[in-house]
Amino acid sequence: MCVWCEQYAGGYERWYLNPANYARRLYKVRREETEASGAEANPQAAGGMSAVGREFLEAKERGDHEAVARMKKEAEQRLWQIHFGQVVTREELDQILDIIYPIALMTCACRRSMRGLPDDENFTCIGMGPGMYKWERWPDTYRGGVHFLTPDEAREVVDVLNRRGLAHTVYTFGTPYLGGICNCDYPDCGGLRTAIDLDVRVVWKGHYVAQVDPDLCNGCGLCARRCQFQALTFSPSTLQAYIDPLKCYGCGLCRNPCKPDAITMVERESMPALADVW
Amino acid sequence: MLPTISVDDSKCENPLDCRMCLLACPTRVLGLGTNVGPQKYRETDPSHFVVRGVRHQFCTMCMKCVDICPHDAIRISLDQGVMA
Repeated sequence: MCVWCEQYAGGYERWYLNPANYARRLYKVRREETEASGAEANPQAAGGMSAVGREFLEAKERGDHEAVARMKKEAEQRLWQIHFGQVVTREELDQILDIIYPIALMTCACRRSMRGLPDDENFTCIGMGPGMYKWERWPDTYRGGVHFLTPDEAREVVDVLNRRGLAHTVYTFGTPYLGGICNCDYPDCGGLRTAIDLDVRVVWKGHYVAQVDPDLCNGCGLCARRCQFQALTFSPSTLQAYIDPLKCYGCGLCRNPCKPDAITMVERESMPALADVW
Repeated sequence: MLPTISVDDSKCENPLDCRMCLLACPTRVLGLGTNVGPQKYRETDPSHFVVRGVRHQFCTMCMKCVDICPHDAIRISLDQGVMA
């Protein structure tokens, strides 16, 4: 079971379909330390994009599993209180776009950090909720400012990002409040880098897992380039798509170029051995 | 062994505009961030942007960033004491 749904779904099918989780107050008394720094969500200070430091990499390299496990746990506990994400499908994103307000197109902090991408080339993130009025009011503080979108405009934007091959992720800003829809790719998303490179779960896998129907797959291989999670490869043995269900994040992007509709999304929790793989 | 990457901030004046090292690195080892917290009601001054080694485990020491830096601000070494 997804622990976030367990705690925060409030009777809705998923925690990110519960409108209460988008209703963070515009102004709040900050808690001390870590919570405050995450809630601040400063896209520039976040520039290091690293949930763990060099000491984690060094411990990994010298094979100190105990230290790695301890630092991983500390980082995850901190991140899960403040700022973490979960992958959602395009269909779920449609449902989300119907319950959030306002919807604001904004710049991606990760690509700024990774590539130094100029603001005008970097509008790939969607902020949501009353916090976005601060971005509108003080565009200098919040680099790049925002463009407010209607739900239909947001759908168009999301479709373009989806065609580009970016995976949709919802992010908390002070859990359980969801404040952003990120559109992510490897290697330029800081969250995916941390999750995939270091196995520190700043991004949770989604509620679905992609499966290939070998009777339908025609071996065109177009899906292979869509996977941002190193889960889908083209198998030279079978000449068909191969999906590692343990690595699949369930974004659903691989389905889109598939002419014979050979890829379906299966509920993660319908498979007992995957039910706790997030 | 993880390479040590050091950036001389006094030489690296405006990495946000320059970003040559970020683009040159084949594996996104470097990250651009700021050395100040959020600046209320004003844009963060470009001088506060800094480049740091972040994903050291992917650094192959190909030295592309070192070579391309117009201000000679980046040093990479394997031994912390001796700069390559």
